[in-house]
Amino acid sequence: MPQKKPRFIVTFHTTAEAMATEKVCRQNRLGGRLIPAPRILSADCGIAWSAPPELREATEQAIRQAGIEVAGFHEMALP
Amino acid sequence: MFKRINPWVPIAGVVVGIAALLLTALGNPANMGFCIACFVRDIAGAMKLHSAEPVQYFRPEIVGLVLGSTIMAVATKEFKAKAGSSPATRFLIGVFVMIGALVFLGCPLRMVLRMGGGDLNAFVGLAGFFLGILIGIFFIKRGFSLKRTYEVTLSEGISLPAALLVMFLLVLAVPSIFAFSESGPGSKHATVLVSLLMAVVVGALAQKARLCMVGGMRDAVMFKDFSLLSGFVAIFVTVLIGNIILGNFHGFSAYLQPIAHASQLWNLLGMALVGWGSVLLGGCPLRQLILAGEGNGDSAVTVLGMLVGAALAHNFKLAGSAASLTDGVYSAGGISVNGKIAVCIGFAVLLVISLLNTSAFKKAAK
Repeated sequence: MPQKKPRFIVTFHTTAEAMATEKVCRQNRLGGRLIPAPRILSADCGIAWSAPPELREATEQAIRQAGIEVAGFHEMALP
Repeated sequence: MFKRINPWVPIAGVVVGIAALLLTALGNPANMGFCIACFVRDIAGAMKLHSAEPVQYFRPEIVGLVLGSTIMAVATKEFKAKAGSSPATRFLIGVFVMIGALVFLGCPLRMVLRMGGGDLNAFVGLAGFFLGILIGIFFIKRGFSLKRTYEVTLSEGISLPAALLVMFLLVLAVPSIFAFSESGPGSKHATVLVSLLMAVVVGALAQKARLCMVGGMRDAVMFKDFSLLSGFVAIFVTVLIGNIILGNFHGFSAYLQPIAHASQLWNLLGMALVGWGSVLLGGCPLRQLILAGEGNGDSAVTVLGMLVGAALAHNFKLAGSAASLTDGVYSAGGISVNGKIAVCIGFAVLLVISLLNTSAFKKAAK
């Protein structure tokens, strides 16, 4: 089994919000990347933002400042 | 690259492949154990929404797929009634996804089944499907959105599963009010109970695994994540091996394949329309059925769009005609002028929808 690492996950209602988050995080030099939304968090086949947990506060702040609507903030272990 | 593959996905793929092989062996048309487009088209015929006599049969597989998804979603507490994401636009996209699929003669799932049966025309369809997905991804990366869904009342979430169940019971109770093909693909089917039960199992597994051909390719292209795509690779490999074992595989060829034509430009363009439309919808036709089963009213509207698209395809002679060999005379089959025009209109409609709903283009227009 691949080793799992803790990640900060942001889920969205639409892919457009996920794309906007990627853009905002890049502009603010915040690490992370888009991933398929983990099955345990969403029954849809949407897109989520995955970042190191230590960037949670800064990422949440950047998302809120940009006015991006999110479905939820989560922390979980991912391979 | 492959470390993130969720084992449920290839397991679901193998089960879908085996179920497709069994349904074909038990009476379904060749390379058509499952085909969402063809089966919705057959249901449209059974309900007399079109009058193409060879393709009229109320396919229990569609009922089973939706109910299987509902059962699994309820059991795992994932059933959620939600809707409100551009339903009219989704209806329209559903219409053209269906027309594209019937031009090719199959949905993405049947495309994989045809590939596993050695049909080279389906590989051309795959190229078109991939091209369509790339076009869709182009718009998604620039902010395409049909806006979010909202929680709605239970009646919205159970409308399609309940309607399908009632219609199915009606078929069993009063078959005389429906149309049934006496020849052609609609006349070929496994028994009702077997079709229903196998589809329930497949629907449940597809819900659990989030099986989606479009999602698989999108994830592979955008994130180098091959989890979802592994399901369809599993279907292909299972069907290929199964066909070899059952003696149904006679090498790869584009010549005289079952319910397929060799008009390659339109195989390519038909599936490109399906790929593009499905990316905009957020899932392939199979996925729309599964989402409708777990309470998504927008997917239910999309399925209704597909039903209307199927009726239009046959009433206006847009669907492809299969290659045939009659009295030693080979016909390659293909697409009517009407069908070609419909595919072109479909691309124009998808382009307009894509531009109107993509933030980058909306900003540029202001």
